[in-house]
Amino acid sequence: MLRNQKRYKVISNKKVCANFFRLSLNAKFLLKKIKPGQFVHLRVSDGLKPFFRRPFSVFRAQKSLEILYEVVGDGTQILSKKKRNSSIDCLGPLGTPFSMPPKGIKQVVMVAGGVGVAPFLLLTDKLKNKGYDLILLYGGRTRGHVFSFKEFQQNGCKVFVSTDDGSIGVKGRVSKLFTKINLAKPTFIYTCGPKPMMASVQAFAKKNKIKGQASLEEVMACGVGTCLGCSTKTKHGYKTVCHDGPVFDLDEVIFQGGA
Amino acid sequence: MKLNVKIGKVQFKNPVTVASGTFGYIEKYCSPSKISQLGAIVPKTVTLNLREGNPSPRIVETPSGMINAIGIENQGIDNFLSEKLPKLTKFKIPVILSISANTDKEFVTLAKKVNNAKGICAIELNLSCPNLKKKQLVAQDAKATYRLVKAVKKVCKKPVIAKLTPNVTNIVEIAQAAKKAGADAVSLVNTFAAMAIDIKNRKPVLGNIVGGLSGPAIKPIALKMVYDIYRETKMPIIAMGGIMTNDDALEFLIAGASMVAVGTASFVNPNASIEILSGIKKYMKKNKIKDIKQLIGSIRT
Ligand SMILES: Cc1cc2nc3c(=O)[nH]c(=O)nc-3n(C[C@H](O)[C@H](O)[C@H](O)COP(=O)(O)OP(=O)(O)OC[C@H]3O[C@@H](n4cnc5c(N)ncnc54)[C@H](O)[C@@H]3O)c2cc1C
Ligand SMILES: Cc1cc2nc3c(=O)[nH]c(=O)nc-3n(C[C@H](O)[C@H](O)[C@H](O)COP(=O)(O)O)c2cc1C
Ligand code: FES
Repeated sequence: MLRNQKRYKVISNKKVCANFFRLSLNAKFLLKKIKPGQFVHLRVSDGLKPFFRRPFSVFRAQKSLEILYEVVGDGTQILSKKKRNSSIDCLGPLGTPFSMPPKGIKQVVMVAGGVGVAPFLLLTDKLKNKGYDLILLYGGRTRGHVFSFKEFQQNGCKVFVSTDDGSIGVKGRVSKLFTKINLAKPTFIYTCGPKPMMASVQAFAKKNKIKGQASLEEVMACGVGTCLGCSTKTKHGYKTVCHDGPVFDLDEVIFQGGA
Repeated sequence: MKLNVKIGKVQFKNPVTVASGTFGYIEKYCSPSKISQLGAIVPKTVTLNLREGNPSPRIVETPSGMINAIGIENQGIDNFLSEKLPKLTKFKIPVILSISANTDKEFVTLAKKVNNAKGICAIELNLSCPNLKKKQLVAQDAKATYRLVKAVKKVCKKPVIAKLTPNVTNIVEIAQAAKKAGADAVSLVNTFAAMAIDIKNRKPVLGNIVGGLSGPAIKPIALKMVYDIYRETKMPIIAMGGIMTNDDALEFLIAGASMVAVGTASFVNPNASIEILSGIKKYMKKNKIKDIKQLIGSIRT
């Protein structure tokens, strides 16, 4: 009963670093509709295992619809085995996209944790050549958890990396990279990644009176705002991550156990 | 081919509907021409006042199913009637409104408010809501079920459907109480009480600790309950519980259901209800069944 449910052919599905895969779907008719921050809800198996669809941010939408994903469990394991020319039942694009930086902003900072970097490449595709200083602060567990900063650099984005084990970039949390932000410039922050990381971004933004947005994750069933299963607490009551989000204003989100 | 079925005085053009809490009309995504094909729509349970719902996480995936503890998050009846209902009535198919309350009196107040609402063709009493006084669900007690259905029937001009919980020893007894009190139909099953534990931190997965299991995992149990109630009461039944395909739906119809509701399946395949409807038609054609009524309760034992 939904307009945006279709099957798309797999063009390629490749391992791009130790922990991440890149899937490319032949979804031409979607490409123009997709906005940065939106996601697709994929049925990775036509059977009952796993039962739910799996949500993934759109990583790129140029010649094909691409997602960047990490294998963390059964669903993503099955996805990683999809062969060229097989097809996947896809719902999307779904969700509320990032809003563009407000007027007067000169510096756009993206703070990503691990595969949370996924929605930001598309964002830089939209924001490049518009006069912003684009900065990506990118934290990962190891070298195998950070990928594709070349494509960010091609979009004129400065990339700074931190890893928990120091195997690449600065050793430690991504918050160590906050010093790379030029606080003298009018700044807007986007963040996506583990909750504690986003909570630290929220605290930093609050302290420095910077506005921004966060892209959240919750386990999802329907993906379209029907089941009310993915609700998250915000300053304005419960909101669905799939429909009201996944993008929320940074100062609206309540990171439980976080800030 | 005749697909129409009747509950109380109301005719439905076909037996396929959706289960409460699993159908929400989102304009951005829905295809109106497809929704209009359904026999009826059943929106999420509405209460007298706004309910915020339970803390997250509210859902967890399980083998062939899911556990939910949404907590009947809704905006309250007045908001429903003024904001949501007009969007649903434009599909020109009957709306069955699911209501829930903490007391008999509140149920009656709700039923009265719905009496004059155009477009609502029947009321479904969600009796699986906590009865605060007894720490028990209404539909876990035959007497409480009888009393409540009777009270609502007294004031309600529209057909009344009692939605039963499967979390009982003898569901037939509850259905019989509802029938005796004048219920025009029963709908079943609501979810099975269930839980999941995260072994990494030994905490319950759901914010509400416990929830209700739905999806294909519960289908055979739900089917047996429908079979039992039909055999003993012959009353109209709206059946649900793990219906994913037309074969599932046909099993319920053959067991005695007058209508079938698609729930959890829609989350996985949003088109499931429409595919099930066309699958039922195909089956009837192939088996030369001219009227769906020949199929209902036609189990050969
Ligand atoms: C809007 C949105 C966008 C997303 N975008 C991406 C993306 O671009 N790339 C990507 O790799 N992943 C993304 N995710 C996360 C992705 O959906 C999950 O990693 C995936 O569903 C896991 O499925 P699985 O069966 O492999 O793992 P499961 O077996 O389901 O889970 C394995 C582990 O991951 C945890 N987990 C599962 N689902 C989630 C979730 N939604 N959020 C947080 N933890 C979870 C589980 O608790 C468990 O510990 C996104 C999630 C959302 C909500
Ligand atoms: C997320 C979710 C929300 C539900 N909300 C309601 C509700 O508000 N009222 C109600 O009567 N039943 C509710 N149910 C129960 C369903 O209507 C149905 O009875 C049950 O899920 C069994 O059918 P299924 O296995 O096809 O989903 C809900 C079920 C789910 C999964
Ligand atoms: S996943 Fe169903 S409301 Fe978000």
